[in-house]
Amino acid sequence: MATTVTEPGLERVERLGRIWVEPRGLLGWLRTTDHKRIGLLYFFTTLAFFGAGGIEALLMRTQLAQPNEKVLSPETYDQLMTMHGVTMIFLFVIPMTTGAFGNYLIPLMIGARDMAFPRMNALSYWLFLASGLFMYASVFMHVAPNAGWFDYVPLALKEFNPGRNIDFYALGLIFNAVSSTAAAINFIVTIFKLRAPGMSINRMPLFCFAMLAVSLSLIFALPSLTIDLVYLELQRNLGFHFFDVAHGGDALLWQHLFWLFGHPEVYIIILPAFGIATSIIPTFSKRKMIAFPLVALAELLVAFIGFGVWAHHMFATGLPTITLVFFAAASMMVVIPSSIQVFAWTVTVALGRPEFRAPLLFIGGFIVFFVLGGLTGIMFAAIPFDQATTDTYFVVAHFHFIIFGAAVFPILGGMYYWFPKVTGRLYHEGLAKLSFWLTFLGTALTFFPMHIIGLLGMPRRVYTYPSSLGWGAYNLSETIGAFILTAGLLLIFGNLLYSRFRGAPAGPDPFFGGTLEWATTSPPPPYNFPVIPTVTSAYPNWDAEDRQADLRRLERGELVLDKGHETPASTVVDAVPDEVLEMPGESPWPLAVAVCTGLLFIMLLTQHYAVAGVFAGFALLCVAAWHAKEPQES
Amino acid sequence: MNALPYSGEATTAAAVARVEQGRLARPNGWWGMALFVATEATLFGTIIGTYFYLRFNNLHWPPPGVPEPKLTLPLVLTGLLVATSVPVQFAVVTASRGQLARARAALLLAAIVQAGYLGMQLHLFVHDVHEFPPSGSAYSSIYFTMLGAHHLHVFVGILLIFWILLRTATGLTSYRMNGLRATAFYWYFVNVLALCVVGTQLSPLA
Repeated sequence: MATTVTEPGLERVERLGRIWVEPRGLLGWLRTTDHKRIGLLYFFTTLAFFGAGGIEALLMRTQLAQPNEKVLSPETYDQLMTMHGVTMIFLFVIPMTTGAFGNYLIPLMIGARDMAFPRMNALSYWLFLASGLFMYASVFMHVAPNAGWFDYVPLALKEFNPGRNIDFYALGLIFNAVSSTAAAINFIVTIFKLRAPGMSINRMPLFCFAMLAVSLSLIFALPSLTIDLVYLELQRNLGFHFFDVAHGGDALLWQHLFWLFGHPEVYIIILPAFGIATSIIPTFSKRKMIAFPLVALAELLVAFIGFGVWAHHMFATGLPTITLVFFAAASMMVVIPSSIQVFAWTVTVALGRPEFRAPLLFIGGFIVFFVLGGLTGIMFAAIPFDQATTDTYFVVAHFHFIIFGAAVFPILGGMYYWFPKVTGRLYHEGLAKLSFWLTFLGTALTFFPMHIIGLLGMPRRVYTYPSSLGWGAYNLSETIGAFILTAGLLLIFGNLLYSRFRGAPAGPDPFFGGTLEWATTSPPPPYNFPVIPTVTSAYPNWDAEDRQADLRRLERGELVLDKGHETPASTVVDAVPDEVLEMPGESPWPLAVAVCTGLLFIMLLTQHYAVAGVFAGFALLCVAAWHAKEPQES
Repeated sequence: MNALPYSGEATTAAAVARVEQGRLARPNGWWGMALFVATEATLFGTIIGTYFYLRFNNLHWPPPGVPEPKLTLPLVLTGLLVATSVPVQFAVVTASRGQLARARAALLLAAIVQAGYLGMQLHLFVHDVHEFPPSGSAYSSIYFTMLGAHHLHVFVGILLIFWILLRTATGLTSYRMNGLRATAFYWYFVNVLALCVVGTQLSPLA
């Protein structure tokens, strides 16, 4: 029996609309605190950076297509290679998965009306944008970072790298880390505290578990990168000594701290992919994920083990054997939670009635590349093999299968999957399937031959190679693959752009998804849900009776929360409703803080430390102005 | 549902006290600060880790020509700093019962002692920089980085306490109460940090 909404219910819905609506136009977007708008801002910004990183990759592949090519100078190649890595990791994958997907989806999936700290959410975005622009300014000034994304000392020290290149890198990433830390804290508190009544932790969507694991990894991993970068800046510009042996420092200190961050970072990149896979698979297999608690624990366990494996990036640096053995064993342990998930995904598809639409195809591609890249990953845990292949293209092949094949494929699949939710329209299925096969073939053709030339001995990070070694054919096929891959990606974005305007209307739930984002209209209203949903299982949108009960609550005015900008807070484990929160509305101050912080970093770069202090003061004043207006006053 | 505490309406000290007592779980602001403290603790863990990493890479620590750290003054100052946790906690308890005047007096007392501490520490810091500049060795580099980072945290803590004093001059709201809780949490963390930092700073004497 469907419950129809009557006059008082409609009035409540209208009132919510009036309370939560944000101004249209540019000013509205600059002041926004709506997690969906911020998610879209993240989406388009990271997409632009993805384009930049992609162009860098294509330029490098063009240079490497044949031996002794002269498309790029060695210095330009170094800059492009470094910016490609920095862009794809810090300006594309992480902000795309957390900032765009996480922001847009987490509050919807847990039945909340916004993130826990809406204004800090806006601040995260503006800081991210500013840090990206800061780093990209270096490209246009021809002083882009040039020591690789890992930025090893002593190459990165002033003696060997006297320009501003490395300062852009170090300051830009510190800046970026502030944004990521704020975003991670926001996600964790949102996931802990804003879940709908009844969504106890064991009923939380697996996507949210993955984002929780990512956010926890971020807050514990980023500090070691930040402090490493601070040491580097102090040494480069103020004469401190951390990394030079002559004054009691140690070059390996950089690597330890970098990889203490860098390996958790790898899992920060891959975990959202797991989360997206666990969202798409049940929907198109038409059944719940098998081994739900094991998968949830595996997601958290991957993040945890990620902190104990960093030295496997340093097997060739001469660490003591006992250290190597410990880290080799720890690295092999990652296989366990990873395999649990691979089995859970494949068995869920096998036991369900799978419908291979484009999102599920992308997840299929993801599983293929994840398994292949995972197998080479285990090979690196074997110390002698690692020492033989270190710094060759074999490594490049491995991590691109993982970072592109495994991490980006679910992002692409997720774009198709949630496109109807965000736009209210369906994408073109035929073109979507074609775009999958193009990207799949392109990815395989680009990165598979890298295994072979790696084993043949081609070193990574070189801008060219001699013709006598017989690497030309492999490299040419990689370059061709890169262009096929680009065609596939362009087809995806073309399809989405076309469908945005011409696609068929999607309705609230075109795929019969099980999580709460499908319980509201497409696109969702600014307040997300007219009634805060009540949850009794892990797939609440498949509990038709509960959703009917929501409508009856709307009639009675229960859990509508239409007195103000309200959302309920609940207890952390059991999600018992505990408090009604008055959420802050739009504010210009997050943007102002980001602008002041940007100027602060420009002054640090140009070494005007006193002026930098002034801008730090301005940033603090903006923070004060921001907090002076309390939520209940808006 | 209507029985749930509603933070938007808690704009008097008495209403704040009711919200505080009606809650089952800790508020969002507490969690936000807890996670911020977790990431900051990791930062200091890394700094202290670096200190010992460099120490074990050096035969002489501190290197020849650099004086050993002084024992008494840093310990006395740290003791003074840690003692200010008492008035800060007193402020949280009294404010959550709606006794705003007592809370503000305690905060003011804490802030004055903390400012005195920071003044003394900065004086020592400048003195040390003149005696063995950070550009001299890895020891002095990590020494000044660690102490500088901690002084910065004390400074931020004092700013937060002054901010709460300023905001509560016009009364208490639920938002301000959460701010006070978060500030207090941060302050306890800075105090634990002070113990770790002074222990590391004085470790060459052991």
